[in-house]
This record gives sequence, C-alpha cells and structure tokens, in this order.
Amino acid sequence: MAVSNTLNRTRSNGSRRTVDRGFQVVCLLVASLALVILVTLVTAILFRGGNWLSLGFLLNGHRENAPEQSGVGQAIIGSIVVCLLCGTAALPIGIGTAVFLEEYQPLSRAGRWLHGFIQLNVSNLAGVPSIVYGILGVTAFVYMFGLFGQIQANKPPPMEFGATYFYQTKTLGKKWVQFRATDPTQQVFEIVAPLQATNESRQAIELNVIDRSATPPSDPELRDRTVYSGATASILSTKRPWYFHLPFSKSVLSAGLTLALVILPIVIIASQEAIRAVPPSLREAAYGLGANKWQVVSTTVLPSALPGIMTGAILAMSRAIGEAAPLLAVMGGVISTTTSLGNLMDKSPVLPVTIYRWAQDENPAFENLAAAAIIVLLVFLLLMNSVAIFVRNRAERKHA
Amino acid sequence: MANAEPFDVAQLTPRSTLSSQRWSAFMTIVLMICSLISVLTTLGIIVMLVYEAAGFFANEQIQLSRFFTDTKWSVGQTQGEIHYGILPLLSGTLRITAIAMLIALPLGVITAVFLSEFASPRVRSILKPALEVLAGVPTVVLGYFAMVFLTPYLLQPLGDFKTFNAASAGIAVGILCLPLVTSLAEDALRAVPRSLREGSLGLGATRFETTVKVVLPAAISGIVAAFLLALARAIGETMVVALAAGSTPTWTLDPRLQSQTMAGYIVNTFQSESVVPGSLSYYSIYSVAAVLFCLTFGITVLGQYVRRRFREEYN
Repeated sequence: MAVSNTLNRTRSNGSRRTVDRGFQVVCLLVASLALVILVTLVTAILFRGGNWLSLGFLLNGHRENAPEQSGVGQAIIGSIVVCLLCGTAALPIGIGTAVFLEEYQPLSRAGRWLHGFIQLNVSNLAGVPSIVYGILGVTAFVYMFGLFGQIQANKPPPMEFGATYFYQTKTLGKKWVQFRATDPTQQVFEIVAPLQATNESRQAIELNVIDRSATPPSDPELRDRTVYSGATASILSTKRPWYFHLPFSKSVLSAGLTLALVILPIVIIASQEAIRAVPPSLREAAYGLGANKWQVVSTTVLPSALPGIMTGAILAMSRAIGEAAPLLAVMGGVISTTTSLGNLMDKSPVLPVTIYRWAQDENPAFENLAAAAIIVLLVFLLLMNSVAIFVRNRAERKHA
Repeated sequence: MANAEPFDVAQLTPRSTLSSQRWSAFMTIVLMICSLISVLTTLGIIVMLVYEAAGFFANEQIQLSRFFTDTKWSVGQTQGEIHYGILPLLSGTLRITAIAMLIALPLGVITAVFLSEFASPRVRSILKPALEVLAGVPTVVLGYFAMVFLTPYLLQPLGDFKTFNAASAGIAVGILCLPLVTSLAEDALRAVPRSLREGSLGLGATRFETTVKVVLPAAISGIVAAFLLALARAIGETMVVALAAGSTPTWTLDPRLQSQTMAGYIVNTFQSESVVPGSLSYYSIYSVAAVLFCLTFGITVLGQYVRRRFREEYN
C-alpha cells in the first residue's frame, strides 16, 4: 500500500508494532509453504523414480513380476490417443458454446433466460467431481443406457462396422485355410459340405470334404485343401482401423469422450474469457462494413481471440492427461494389453492409471516405477504448459 | 490491446449475400446445439443417478431408511448379511474433508493475504507460478506423495498411523485445495476498494489491524465462496483417497485409521472389474454417487451464489 507508515508508527505503541511485524513474518512463512511443498514433492518423486528412467522404460509395456523390464510405452501412446480424442470432441463444442454465450446475446426474455441458465449450468458443471463424469461415461458411452443391448464375451457386438469375420481350419496337409463367416455369432463352424475358401498364399480354392472313413488323397495339392467331414473351424476376425461398434464398451473412444465432458466447462470458461477480451470496436467495425453475425464471429472475433482460446485449451488438455478417476471407471484398471492399439474400440493403458496401479502393486519395486511414470507425466505437463506460455507470450508481443 | 492486423474489407462485402445469410442462420443453430450439450450433460447425470439409484432401492434386500441409518457398509461381500449404510462412507468423506479444510483454509487465506497485501512484485513472481504449478499437479501424483512420503516420513513418527489413513489423505487433499482457496481468496481481497485500506491506515491502524479488521471482513463473502468451492472439490476428490486412505469403510473419528470415502468406494468398485450391470454392487455405485453428487452440486451452487452476490457489491 502506498500510504506511508510514518503516521502509524507515531501513534502505535510497541506491542502493536510487534504484532504487525510478527503477522507479516507469519504471512511470509505460510505463503512460502506452497513453494516448500512443491519442492518436497518434486524432490521425493525424483529421488524415488529417477534411477528407473531409461529408454527401455519409455518403450516397454507393463510386465507382471518383472519391474526391471516394465515400462510406460503403451501408456504414453494410450494417453496421447485419449487426450487427442478428448480434445477433438471438447474443443469445437466448448468454443462453440463460448461463442454462443458471448456473441449471441438474445433480446427476448426467454432467450435471456436460456442464456443465463446455460451459463449457470456451465459454472456448476465445473464443480462436479470427475468420478461422477466417469460414471456418466460408463452409463452413456460404455453401455449406452443399454439401448443397443450388451456386449457379451465371445460374441460380436450387436452393431458394428469395419470388422470381417472368418473361420479358420487346418487341412489334412497341415495347411491353414480360411473362409468367410456368414453368422459371426457362431464361435465354431462344422464343415460338412465343400465350400469356397482361401489358402495360406491368399488364393481362392475349393475346400474338398471327404468322409472320415475315406483314405486321404495322395495328391499333395488336393490334400492341402481337403478336410474330413465334420471338421471344426474356429472364428477369427480382422478389424479395420475405423472399426467401430455400439455401444462403445470399455474403449479409448469412451475414455476420450468422458474426458471431453470433464474438461468441457474449463474450455468454455477459458474461451469465454478470451472472447470477452476482444475489443468491441473490432466487432463494430466489422458490422459497420456489412458483415452478418457469423461473418463477424469467424473473421474478426475468433481470429483475435484464438491465442487466448488456445492457451485455455492446452491448459484444459493438461488437466485431461492427468485425470485418472474417470478413466478407471470407463476403461477399468487396464495396465497392459497383448496387442497394440489398432482401433478406437480397443482398450489401452494410460499414464495416470498405470501410476495408480503400480503404486498399489504389492511388489515394492513397482512403487518406485510409479514415481518414474510420474516423472514422465510431469514432463508431459511441463511441455504442454510451456507451449501454452509460448502461445500467450507470442500473442502478447503481437498485440503490444 | 488493439488488433494490429489490417482488416481486409474485401473478405466481407462480396459474401454478404442471401447464401451467407442462410449460412449465418445455420451456424447460429449449430452453436446453440453446442451449448445445449452442457445442459444435456447435467440432465444426463441427474437422470442416470435417479434412474439407477432407484434400481438399487428397488432391490428387495434394500430399504431406504437403513441406507441412511446403518453404520456398516458391506455391499461387495458375497457371504452373510449385506450392510448398506452410507454413514461410514459419508463419515470417511467428511473426516478427510475436515482435515483438508483445516489445512487449506487458514493456509490459503493467509497466503492470499500475503499475496494481495504484503508481497513485493518480486516475491509474487515466484509464489504465483509455484501455486499455479501446484494446482496443475495431477491428483494421482498427490495421492502417491501422500502414500509414500506423508504417511511414513511425516505422520508415522508422530503416532500409530496405519499404512493407509485418513490424516495423510486429508493433508494431501488440503494441498490440492490450497491453490484454489488462495486464488479465489486473493481475488476477493483485491476486489476490496483501496480507499477502505487507506482510510484505516490513515486513522492510525497498523497493517495487521487494517487487514484483520477492515480488509478481511470486507472480503468475507468471497472467502466464504472460496471455502465452499474448495469444500466441494475436497468432497469429490477421488485419486488421493483411493491411494492413501485405504479401502475399508470405517465409522469412527480416529484419523489414524483407514477411511474409505464415497468417491473412493466408487473407484475401488469399478477397478475390481467384477461389476456387471444389474448386480447389487453396480447399483450401489449409483446410490453412493447420487449422495456424492447432491452434496457437491449443492455446495457448488451455494458457492457460486455467494460469489456472484459478492461481485455485485463491489462493481
């Protein structure tokens, strides 16, 4: 405060001055506690996990009972994919909502009420615990309110796109042949009649069926495409990268959409602030030149609010990448997968869930590994925040 | 802050045709749909919780009255009588929240006082980023910190604290809420008109007296709002308690014991992967979530209300 203390001093007695001094010292000590906590936290984690960081740690997946060979490779990819999905869903919707709330102020009473209601709703959604969003994600994305039935184990989902099912069997010549499955719900197919199939070198062949009592043909070409009648073929499927089914089940897509709901209020509020900072004169100039509402928004408001929106968006994404609770609900505590992430319907481990599972592992070595994974996560956060600061500084320099 | 970029007039005028009018109207509808998604989210949460929690109470083993009075919770178990009293989980939540608030509220308000009344710009430029970084630390990291550092090195030397206990989780949640309380309280303190401080100092009060008798009372509604919003955050906090507070619901006041919270129960149940839709433990998640949501939503609404009222006063 700019007011001089001289007057104070002359009027106050010694004890009042001591209390004042003491208070300021206490304030300083308490305020520096935040710094102390932060330093302790980072030191404790570096101390615990620093030795475990290696290239192998960044590339490998989780291996049960083998902490030395375990790593966060799959989790890093999973986190990035989930985060990108989350951003793809949350940013357009969040920015759209912010534009609607800031630029489309209605004149009618009902319209104003709707605006106020949406605004109130957004600020209240920001206070909903993320685990509640997790439950919403489970209900709305994983099971889709049961609208499309439930996905059962060993059965294809009720509605799916981009999957091909075929049966595979071994012929008398010990060669694999495959043929299309007409009814994918059937796990095992019994071959009784000749049918069209493809062999190992992907050539179309006619599958020959002989009776069990008959002698196998001696011609090797024929033997390679002959099976006994009643031989069984088991089902297999290939899934395209765009493979997709309803309900989404426990998948990275469900996880990304759930996180999108978590960060939506943050994106909206940050974008609103950025849009509010655009000087009204710019809008008025554009209107004056004959632009209509959307032209004003798309050519004037959004470009000049973009750095602010980007900063808020990156900060929201960095919140998303550290969220564990909704992901635990939506994908379960998945820590490793046998196949790599092939489509959006796959499950994947993510960094925060990996940290959680390792921290709980009975093997104390995994507890240290969790600290190493935390370092990786913190590096990610640091990178994202640096980008946000860079964007903000560049925008400030441009406008200065 | 003026936009220095030259504005290209040609961008606008030729396109202001009938089709661009239609496009504009179309985009209005698109934006409106975007903003309705947030309303749909709230609606979705409420409908889902009501519907599925009703499914829990529709089970003939479950009575609504015992849900609120029974002091045991054992829905997950397969043998023996099932107890489904929310009180142990609720008390676990409140115990940890109380510890968290005991830490976050005084420390947060004093830090805010320091930042707004005493700090030099130089000290501020160190403390503010530190608080921002602390606010950005993922909760699972704080949970880990509580588990591997606070419990063995800070608490266990002091007394008979269990491996998982309410105190370490409470402290970690307090650390989590500290930046939130600080930033909201600092906003409230900065909104107090300078003339009030100058008047007080001019009458001969010390800075301490000015702060305690003039500035803090003037900012009290903002500080109450900060407290309420941090409270809602602490009640809903999940990962810290899932890691540090243990997985046994207890009906006690002892902070040294395990203490499963409502959010902790939800996440532990989901994690076990044995939850199938339609089972009792699946429905129990929703009943607990309904209580959790009512509590946090109510407190948030109250906090926002207090905050808005306070804003009007000083603008």
